[in-house]
Amino acid sequence: MRSSRRQFLQLLGVGTGAAAATGIDVPSGFAQAAGPVKIGVLAIRAGIAAPVGAAGLRGTEWWAERVNKAGGILGRPVQLVVEEESNPKDTVERYRKLVLQDKVEVVLGGISTGVTLALGPVAEDLGTPWLSWDGTTQKGVEETMPSPKWAFKSVDNEVEAIVAGILTPKHFKGVKRVAGIGNDYSYGHDCWESYQAVLKRYIPDVKFVLELFPKLGVTDFTSHIAAIQQSKADLLMCSFWSGDATIIMKQAAAVSLFKTMKGVFTTAGGVHDSLKKEFTPEGLLLGYNTMYFDDPKGSPLLKQFVREYKAKYNEYPPYECDHAFFNAESYKAAVEKAAGPAKKWPEKAQVVKALEGIEVESLSGRRSWREDHVQMCNFYQGITTHKNGYDFVTISPIEVVSTRQAMKPPGTKLFEWINSWKI
Amino acid sequence: MTQHVVNVLLSGVFHASILFLVAAGLQVVFGVQKIFNLACGSFYALGAYAGVSAVGWYAGAGGPPALFILPLALAGLAVGAVGIVVERGLLSFVYDRDETFQLLLTFAVVLMMEDAIRMIWGTSPRSTSGLYLTYGQVRILGAVVPVYNLIVIAASLAIALSIGWLLTRTTFGRIMRATADNREMAEALGVDMRRVYAKVFTLGTALGTLGGALVIPATAAMSEMGIELIVEAFAVVVIGGLGSMRGAFVGALAVGVLRSIAISVYPELEMLLIYLIVIGVLVARPRGLFGGAAA
Repeated sequence: MRSSRRQFLQLLGVGTGAAAATGIDVPSGFAQAAGPVKIGVLAIRAGIAAPVGAAGLRGTEWWAERVNKAGGILGRPVQLVVEEESNPKDTVERYRKLVLQDKVEVVLGGISTGVTLALGPVAEDLGTPWLSWDGTTQKGVEETMPSPKWAFKSVDNEVEAIVAGILTPKHFKGVKRVAGIGNDYSYGHDCWESYQAVLKRYIPDVKFVLELFPKLGVTDFTSHIAAIQQSKADLLMCSFWSGDATIIMKQAAAVSLFKTMKGVFTTAGGVHDSLKKEFTPEGLLLGYNTMYFDDPKGSPLLKQFVREYKAKYNEYPPYECDHAFFNAESYKAAVEKAAGPAKKWPEKAQVVKALEGIEVESLSGRRSWREDHVQMCNFYQGITTHKNGYDFVTISPIEVVSTRQAMKPPGTKLFEWINSWKI
Repeated sequence: MTQHVVNVLLSGVFHASILFLVAAGLQVVFGVQKIFNLACGSFYALGAYAGVSAVGWYAGAGGPPALFILPLALAGLAVGAVGIVVERGLLSFVYDRDETFQLLLTFAVVLMMEDAIRMIWGTSPRSTSGLYLTYGQVRILGAVVPVYNLIVIAASLAIALSIGWLLTRTTFGRIMRATADNREMAEALGVDMRRVYAKVFTLGTALGTLGGALVIPATAAMSEMGIELIVEAFAVVVIGGLGSMRGAFVGALAVGVLRSIAISVYPELEMLLIYLIVIGVLVARPRGLFGGAAA
């Protein structure tokens, strides 16, 4: 996070990398074969999603260090070229710069769907693979790029709300009146719509008594909480994912809201270590998106990552690290697969072909790319508990739901698909 | 029903208390210096971050939790000193320039402060963990109300009364009002304008930073939190009248309570209702409810 906004060439390799770092001219053919592999990274650095961008970048850097220590990709060290994700227009410009000027082999990153909707067509146009951490090319809940060639997209935005909808009736009995609160933009509205659609399938007579959509960045929810109390709901669904999740939790605790009401926080696991026990009760359903840092069944890779992340940043990693790690690791695996036994560096188009359907070991376990370039993985949600060694809540039991169950299959319409479930 | 009315009103008044402090900072500076200080929202954010740090330090040093409000308020007031730096270091050079320059300069301060906060405190939201719950709750007509909210409301009211006293009962207040009315005349009568401006701007800044510090136990500090509030503060000053302290008080109360009622009755109207009133005031009474009165 200590880099300039415009451009930051982070040379993680040694040896061959030094030539590039000092600007020594090398014949381009040689550089192509033996120089560092330039990987473009787009990360949000300012605003509400800056911590998410930081987590993605940290995950990528950790991956790059690890790969370089092990000899790089086909013997070439990895070099990250980091640019900022901001608004769609500027980010598209930076994307073009990464591809045309920095001549990166692949671009990783993209969080805001507002931005990635714009990046999708540009990636197709420039013919360089783009693997998105957390952004989709959905308009609302429907896909706009059903069969891309170069663009690889994140999990559908609404999956965590669908997972929460599936888990709600399992953990909370007798829910009849539900209130919802989410941010006033596509993600908040889509999550609420999807959650309602799923819950209605399980509890046909459920009533949705209140919906609130404060703007992103609001820091006072006392009036919203007054409205939620008045609604006499027996469950509150909340899709906040940034500091506002912490704030509403605290303000709800101040009036003991969850003494009389169940709570579902589909995405608050993104700021999990700010959900202190002092104000976050046990018994809420809490979603961690695709990676749960404290999974007792987690792989040695996850445990090593959590340990080193904590040592370096004094925080416990959120899920964005896993999206980012998976993107980078799947690219490496695809290059190696496409290179074949001859170990010849493949063309970009061959890498893209190799990515389709590829499965790799990520921080959270095995993850893959679906044939239509959408991430497949597991979602982790569970019931909050204070029984741990931290000062914040964790979850137990842990529920793991696969995108195979909770994400619409290619070519289907979301609500038609949900309504076709056999329950 | 009574319980709900109490909930709605008190949450509205709580919001209004913070809004008042920021708007009062905006008003006092505009009233005397005729500068529309966009950076008042950034001072609010700065106060919030300073509050988090101070309380963290206080808890680390083993201070009794019940007294955390003291280091909190002190930190809020102390970082108000940044006002002198901004006033002497930046604004003092543009007093004779066109208002647009002044507006642009304060906007530059907004952007710079946001980056400065990010550099000092990082990008993740910062919060004071469970201190908000230290003082517990009281029941008022059946409604559960956090005691801390009542403390903030009381503090804001006390500050409003102190400002009223300062403006009407002290020499400095009289000088401020005289300057607001007629700067040249005040100067001709021997008022040292440099000192008045430095003091007034620092006062305006401290109101914002104190507001940020006071609100922080109930919320979390985010680098862009000031932007959200400044938009509402605009509505407050338009409704109350630019430069008027009474206007800030009434405007903040109106915006806070109406917002709360809207959220409860018809949430889609939250912002719309406030701006409908803003438009109404602009059309019917362009100078605001208390416009034209001295600061």
